[in-house]
Amino acid sequence: MKILLKITVLLIPIIFIFMFFFLLTEKKPYPGADYKEFPIPNFNLESLYESEPLTNVDLRGDYIINIWASWCITCRIEHPYLMNLKNKRIPIIGINYKDERYDAIEWLGRYGDPYDKIIYDFKGLLALDLGVTGAPETFLVHDGVIVAHYQGEINNSIWSDVFDPIIKEKEMFK
Amino acid sequence: MIVEISHFLSLLATGLFFLAGYFSLFVSSTSYTSNLISRTYSQAFLLLASSFLIYVWLAVTDNFSVEYIANHSNSALPIFYKVSSIWSAHEGSMFLWIVFLSIWGFIFNIAVNNNDILKPKTIGIVSFILVGFLLFLLLTSNPFATILPIAPINGADINPVLQDPALAIHPPTLYLGYVGFVIPFASSLAFLINGDSNIKWEKSIKKWSVMAWVFLTIGISLGSWWAYYELGWGGYWFWDPVENVALMPWLAATAFIHSLSVSIKSSHLRIWTILLSILVFSLSLFGAFIVRSGIIDSVHSFANDPQRGLYLLAFIGIIIVTSVLLFISRFSMIKPSSNIKTLSKESFISINNILFGTLIFAIMLGVTYPLFYEYLFDQKISVGAPFYNAIFIPIVILASLFLFLSVDSKWSRGITIDLFKKPIAFSAIFSIIFVITISFLFNTTDIFILLSIFAGSLIISRYFIEIFRYLFNKKYLNPYSAIAHLALGLLLVSISFNSLLSTERALNIKLNEYEEYEDMKVYFKDIKLIEGSNYDAVKASFNIEDEKGNNFNLNPEKRRYFTRGQITTETAIHITPIKDIYLTIGDQLDDGSWIVNIQINFLIRWIWFSAALMSFAGIMLIFSKKKSNI
Repeated sequence: MKILLKITVLLIPIIFIFMFFFLLTEKKPYPGADYKEFPIPNFNLESLYESEPLTNVDLRGDYIINIWASWCITCRIEHPYLMNLKNKRIPIIGINYKDERYDAIEWLGRYGDPYDKIIYDFKGLLALDLGVTGAPETFLVHDGVIVAHYQGEINNSIWSDVFDPIIKEKEMFK
Repeated sequence: MIVEISHFLSLLATGLFFLAGYFSLFVSSTSYTSNLISRTYSQAFLLLASSFLIYVWLAVTDNFSVEYIANHSNSALPIFYKVSSIWSAHEGSMFLWIVFLSIWGFIFNIAVNNNDILKPKTIGIVSFILVGFLLFLLLTSNPFATILPIAPINGADINPVLQDPALAIHPPTLYLGYVGFVIPFASSLAFLINGDSNIKWEKSIKKWSVMAWVFLTIGISLGSWWAYYELGWGGYWFWDPVENVALMPWLAATAFIHSLSVSIKSSHLRIWTILLSILVFSLSLFGAFIVRSGIIDSVHSFANDPQRGLYLLAFIGIIIVTSVLLFISRFSMIKPSSNIKTLSKESFISINNILFGTLIFAIMLGVTYPLFYEYLFDQKISVGAPFYNAIFIPIVILASLFLFLSVDSKWSRGITIDLFKKPIAFSAIFSIIFVITISFLFNTTDIFILLSIFAGSLIISRYFIEIFRYLFNKKYLNPYSAIAHLALGLLLVSISFNSLLSTERALNIKLNEYEEYEDMKVYFKDIKLIEGSNYDAVKASFNIEDEKGNNFNLNPEKRRYFTRGQITTETAIHITPIKDIYLTIGDQLDDGSWIVNIQINFLIRWIWFSAALMSFAGIMLIFSKKKSNI
């Protein structure tokens, strides 16, 4: 066997091993987290199920906003955790993002609906004002003001590391 | 107290496995040392097995002073699930994984004579692998940790989706398959270390490899079946990362078994055989790494702990790099003396080895590329079914065509295959007519589906002719190969029809009303709250009238388990040989109607039946008396 081929056979596993080493030791303190405070932008959109208008007035108190779509695979991974939050009585407002209404309803029918209200944002208007880059993303809202924002899937450790300190500080969900 | 005994026994076993490994690899071998190694291994195994049995007993008797058992079992569970709770999370399932690994080594140890020149080294390699994994278990994922002084009274609970017979069997079967490839792996390394190219070691590992392959096949199919009816995923395959890491060793193992039979016959393809034996086991270990390092989020992954990931990565890295280095350094020894003849059976198998290698590489890319991409560019991308379908379908069709042609080829002889010979021409004409009929009947021009049906039909008709000739002309037939390949043909056809014909729809139905779907009337009869032993549920009752006027009831449920508050869907499936009618219920809408998801899945049972048939061929081979079978 040519020496080059031998080296290649050996290099393939070694490259993989090193890549995984970097992946495992990567210490990023949640690059998706952002604590800039700003009020919920004004909006006037339809709700997903009933096509009734929804505006800022319909959202009160403390809640989280979750951006999702039926085409988003990560949202499906995130979904059981949202169901978990629902069971803990955390109000979740869903923003269905650039999705077909029918697909979205079917998706919820299949996996379950964790949301208290769902804003149907077909054109991504509200999402744009919120500074959303994709799905899923989650916002923590305290009295109409966004206090934390996470890009990407949320789970238990992100909830406790990114959101919990703010929730405790602002005494939310009491 | 009892748990400490169990803990201590596994520590002791670790020490003895180390000794067995040390004797075999670092002490010059004599008949005395071979006996010693064999006995040390057996003793170590017995210690480990007792340790595990004690652990099972602790789980059965609700010993909640053991932290792992307290967190994953519950006193209200039936005994069956108390036992299966052991492999419902990381620590316990790793323990089981290791015990299975040691069982394979133990059976090899008693089945193979001590005079076998490669045996001590093989046992030694298995022992060192066991030491590495036992240390991983004891140092980073200790299942024996206790909660003292106050133990919880009832324990937590096993994840409800795991409270299912198929799932209690699925992980153990899969693990038996994964770790079973330690025997071919260790044997081929022992062969390389020994350095004598005249040893015919391939023959002795044939049945071991097929047995591990059978377990892997059954394990994967059970998982697919479970996701269909219990998780409510509504299909048979989702290209989930963990399904993929199980498929990779399966593909490698399939290629390995074929290569192995060539090497047994003519000492050709030894390079492939050895490389594939390393690849199969490495991919099995890679699977363990992916699932247990928390690098991927999936239904299957265990809790994230970078410590574990690093240990596993280091250990698996050492195993893989060492074996590849050994392979490279002994390359001249296994180089074949002559080339393979074109159009011989060997040539077709080596072509398909390349195609299988391509498939494995594609899956590897699909699994790892999003991870690496996210690391480098901080953006998430997802690789899903379209990617895999685009790569898999053409390659599988191509491989099937080579398989079809190989039926007429001969070992070690490059006879020209006459495409106008009767069996080939007959199968081809039959398949073309069949595909054209299908195309008109179902009004489809989807080229990939039609080609897959064509490939499947070629294989099935070609092997039917062979069986026919065997029955009436007494022509030689390899029954294992015929059955396994017929199953492959059936699999291709079933998958194609499934994707061609299956449909689904979410219906909104109010109580006492009906919706029509695909000539069926779905009538919503009743919905009520029911209470189970550890959950409450809404149970809906539907009456379905199909196009022929047959009536049947389907009762899908949605359950909420008390202990964890987890919500699960219980599917209701009406099974017929041709199609499944598959119902799940979603939420109630504000107008009082319910979202009901209905699917019609064609030939889905046949997909699992094909896998079962493949496994059956393997089992037949394992129990066959003849020694020269492929």
